[in-house]
Amino acid sequence: MRKDEISSYIVDLALKKGATDAVTKIHDRQHIMIRFSNNEVTVSKFYDELTVDIFLMIKRRRAATTVPFYSARRLERTIEKLIKIARMTPPSELYAPLPEGPFSYDPRLLKGPKISLSPDRLVGYVEEAINAALKEGAKKVAGTLNVAVEKTVLTTSGNVHASQERGTLDISVRAFTSDISSGHSVSISGSEDEFNSSEAGRIAGEIAVAASNPKSGESGRFTALLGPLIFADLISQVGILSSAFLVDIGQSFLVDKVGTQVACEKLSLTDDPTIADSYGARAFDDEGFPTRRNVIIEKGVLKGYLHNSITAKKYDVETTGNAGLISPHPWNLVVESGEKSFDGLLAEIDRGIYVTNDWYLRYQNYRRGDFSTIPRDGIFLIRDGFIESSVRELRISDNMLRILKNIRDLSRTRRWIKWWEVNVPTLTPYAVIEDLNFTKSTM
Amino acid sequence: MEDLAAFTVDYARGLGAEYAEARFQRDIQETVILKNGFPEAVVLEEKKGIGVRVLVDGALGFASTNNLTRKDVKNASGRAFKMARASSRIMHEKVSMDDSSLGNIKVEVNQRIGFDSVDIRSKIGLLKETYKLAVGEAAERNVKIPACSMTIDTWMTEKLVVSSDGAYIYSIIPRAAFSILMTAFHPQKGSAQRFFDLGGSGGWEIVEEWRLQSLIKKEAETLSEILLSAGKSPSGKTDVILGPELIGLICHESSGHPGEADRILGREAAQAGETYLKKNSIGLRVGSPLVNVVDDPTLDGSFGFYLYDDEGVKARKRMLIKEGVINEFLHNRETASVFGVKSNGSARASAFDREPIVRMANTYLEPRDYSVDELLEDVKEGVYIKSFMEWNIDDRRFNQRYVGLEAYRILNGEIKERIRNPILEVTTTGLWSSVDAVGRDLEFQAAYCGKGDPMQGIPVWTGGPHVRLRGVILEDDK
Repeated sequence: MRKDEISSYIVDLALKKGATDAVTKIHDRQHIMIRFSNNEVTVSKFYDELTVDIFLMIKRRRAATTVPFYSARRLERTIEKLIKIARMTPPSELYAPLPEGPFSYDPRLLKGPKISLSPDRLVGYVEEAINAALKEGAKKVAGTLNVAVEKTVLTTSGNVHASQERGTLDISVRAFTSDISSGHSVSISGSEDEFNSSEAGRIAGEIAVAASNPKSGESGRFTALLGPLIFADLISQVGILSSAFLVDIGQSFLVDKVGTQVACEKLSLTDDPTIADSYGARAFDDEGFPTRRNVIIEKGVLKGYLHNSITAKKYDVETTGNAGLISPHPWNLVVESGEKSFDGLLAEIDRGIYVTNDWYLRYQNYRRGDFSTIPRDGIFLIRDGFIESSVRELRISDNMLRILKNIRDLSRTRRWIKWWEVNVPTLTPYAVIEDLNFTKSTM
Repeated sequence: MEDLAAFTVDYARGLGAEYAEARFQRDIQETVILKNGFPEAVVLEEKKGIGVRVLVDGALGFASTNNLTRKDVKNASGRAFKMARASSRIMHEKVSMDDSSLGNIKVEVNQRIGFDSVDIRSKIGLLKETYKLAVGEAAERNVKIPACSMTIDTWMTEKLVVSSDGAYIYSIIPRAAFSILMTAFHPQKGSAQRFFDLGGSGGWEIVEEWRLQSLIKKEAETLSEILLSAGKSPSGKTDVILGPELIGLICHESSGHPGEADRILGREAAQAGETYLKKNSIGLRVGSPLVNVVDDPTLDGSFGFYLYDDEGVKARKRMLIKEGVINEFLHNRETASVFGVKSNGSARASAFDREPIVRMANTYLEPRDYSVDELLEDVKEGVYIKSFMEWNIDDRRFNQRYVGLEAYRILNGEIKERIRNPILEVTTTGLWSSVDAVGRDLEFQAAYCGKGDPMQGIPVWTGGPHVRLRGVILEDDK
């Protein structure tokens, strides 16, 4: 049987065996990753995977599985096992039937541009990034290149039969001028035309050179200029924790905040997977519901959470097309741009700190939003509107809601970000935050 | 599977690979999720396939497939070979494997109570009853538990590692894990949260030994009391006693990670970061002579248990810091070759589609001779931090922050009132140098260590005894 036939066969079988609802997603993915460090390739990796996700409900009883692409007979046994488990499971809080199709999908999202997996071409991207960083003055360069092509076939008992083909490219480049001075940049895209590994290398190198000879930073509250990498990390937290599932389990500072001002009026955040050829573009969610542009924050006001059918029923709203069969999640976050240039933002800061990147963000309390994270890869003191010097060894220790409310301005320029620390592709400007709390080691 | 793995190695060698290794791995996992007292779903996952790693002209290539046919593993081997060959053109220092002796053995961890002998209804029943007890315990103090997610994971990892230079390791290791995120809320006091994992290798008997119901009931009581009665933490220079939960985390973050040899070589520079240690840091004093930090994969029943690593090297206890001095790094065969030493069996891969990289297993501070009372009795004014929520460390593993959750003031050798969120922000050497007494108790916690790209989350234990730090500085809560 072909993949689409298998997909329909599984759903039909699940219904025949007693499921009220069923979803099958067949995922066929080829992925190449090249990791590099010290200006050379560390390892090259090729992943070839064909998996089958099955989700079924017997009203309020739910079970799910991910298995390899088995034979029809083996898949039948898998269905029987899932049905047995679902029957034994006590009922969950709610039942919501899967969205009823058929739906029409945006054809621009169903098939993305063709992307090459030629090893020589991909090694070429890596060489370009390394050489661009070295040309800027970096001494050593490390990073990761990922190129993937995938086909998803989805069938649901809600009369959905859909498939999508897409590819993605991303490179993350970290350049060093010494053990303690570095710069980081990325390039991500859903098409080869928009992908620019050389530019990522150049920016990483430029920051690394500027960050040379850092002095120990001072703790205190400062006006902070946050670059796209760190602001994407903070904003993607807002996007991820707007999942109604995470709100329900208390893993979000957005609990009970819908309709309230959670950020400065200058901040508007959407989840928009409908931008064709972008990294996170997709036509339908895991329930087969068409994706759409969802406003999460509009002029500082939290407009709603991200939903699948089950969480939508609980909150008495429509699904937002963000399923995740267990937990809804964002696909492609977009922060509305501001009006000023980077230099314009910088010029308005008398005394502050410019942070280019961060990592290791952890919460003391998700519900309150208390957290800390560690700036890295270029931290600079700002004095009278100019970058004065490079500093190091600082930590941002603050509250997420306080930071959102203290956004003073956003830049016109935006960059797409996704890397090891930022899981959701996020289009973000530079941001100026008032009164950001920096701490440092005391001994 | 044995034939297919051997075929894969032979085929890759036939293509011209200097070294080839095939690892069949199957992980069968069942996850039961309880959200706010209701079962959310039962999730089963089976991941199985072959990962093949080759060395071509000094460059490493890795490929994986979950299609277990000769045709597909040939394709995977061919891909790994081509990728490595293409990469070799920008290699300056050729990769090689050390000449460690390699195992030929079968390892199986037995389950006293098989996972299959406990049905789904019982597992969910256990979680539901645990949730009810927690809610009831909080309610007795007029505290609500508005949100609580709990999961029980049980899984079986079956591996077969075959390499062109003679490794043959077959292993089956079952593991069980529990995790919880619990929120306590009071209208006037706000919220407090607790997150932690439990885990071990073995059968369902591990879960029974945790006594989840009484454990989580106690956690709900503690969290409620923190919310209701914890006062402001003192700040400034003081003595601090850290419990095993924090000491384990500190050992992992500031002693285990910086001693990973691939990190020292810069291989993780763009992801998990680098380290303050250098290739020549063996012998460097980083702490008080009381500090012995070890990593030992061979602990029976541990979450990070294994006897042979994923390159076929026999696992052993590694003394990372001995009497306050850097003593040994964690190595796989590749890094050992660069350093001119033998691998100490630290190569692990989280799944068939991940390459083996240098990892910790069970990292802990070795206990010494003090009882907890003896640690306390010599503290005039201080703070005892038993558990934490927030932590992080910079990517050179030198500047770290731990924010306590369950914590108390110490006065004249006695534990006094609860305090809220004591903050320890300190360097690695500053912290380990301030250790002036080490307890004789020893406890372990489970965790998932994240490293690699794609991310490889692997089960580990962290642990240690109670420890006394002299004259460290606690920060003001913001």
